Amino acid sequence: MVDFNDRQELNERLSLIENMIAEGRQTTQRWGWTFVLWGVAYYVAIVWAYLGNAALAWPVTMVVAGIITTLVASRKGSGGPETTLGRSMASVWISMGISLFLFGICAGLSGHADQHVTIAVIAIMLGMANATSSLILRWKVQFACAVVWWAAGVVSLFGTVTQSSYAFLIAIFLCQIVFGTYMMIAEAREARQERAGKEGPSHA
Amino acid sequence: MTELPELNPIIHGKLRLALLSLLSTVEEAEFTWLRNKTSSTDGNLGAQMLKLEEAGYVAMEKKFVSRKPQTIYRMTESGRRALTEYVQALKQLLGAAIEG
Repeated sequence: MVDFNDRQELNERLSLIENMIAEGRQTTQRWGWTFVLWGVAYYVAIVWAYLGNAALAWPVTMVVAGIITTLVASRKGSGGPETTLGRSMASVWISMGISLFLFGICAGLSGHADQHVTIAVIAIMLGMANATSSLILRWKVQFACAVVWWAAGVVSLFGTVTQSSYAFLIAIFLCQIVFGTYMMIAEAREARQERAGKEGPSHA
Repeated sequence: MTELPELNPIIHGKLRLALLSLLSTVEEAEFTWLRNKTSSTDGNLGAQMLKLEEAGYVAMEKKFVSRKPQTIYRMTESGRRALTEYVQALKQLLGAAIEG
């Protein structure tokens, strides 16, 4: 026979399990800053290349942005748990980064870097990575970013050089700077809520 | 009359139950993350993790990340099975409480 006190205790145990599972799943890593950082890096590379040092601008800026991302991410990430979701997301973006880096370096060195094709490849690959992330996370806002990147890729192939450049600049602004800032605000809000609603068992 | 199941006493402790539930959602987790999530003290957390480790429900690994020592815990298969059985027993008991 289970009496009232036992029943109450059993219910407490059940809700403790539910709360802790929800708490564990709530573990979000903060990635908004990387979008903003890479958006700024693209703009720096574009301006630097425009000012006349195209051969150095892209590889140097991308390598520096890559190093900053790795250093900051390893500092921020230490202490957080490893989850399948986290590894999936990291896999998408690392694979995309390596592919893009390989393409950029080879296109530059081989002399086959036509502006239309280069922008289209970068935009479509960024669209692919954003779409994959958004489908994993079921996040419509990020899927909208993927659509913007894909559109920029299409405009780059069919439009003039000027249209291609504008499409790229607009996509960077919307999908890196605006989306990254939006993500950072959402992450800060989530962190505040997490801190405010934090209550847990303190004894065995 | 059906016999009521017994709850696993190792898992039944509040903090141990919270820790196992948390570990069931991740592949592995660091000591400080578990401490922050459960708002427990170092000593209490260490003692409860040791009990779970001795029962074979969690595995512990010590490593150095950026020259800082880290204690990493992961739930074992037997820990996952034990938690599942515990939840089933809990539900059965609650069901019996409602019926009875």
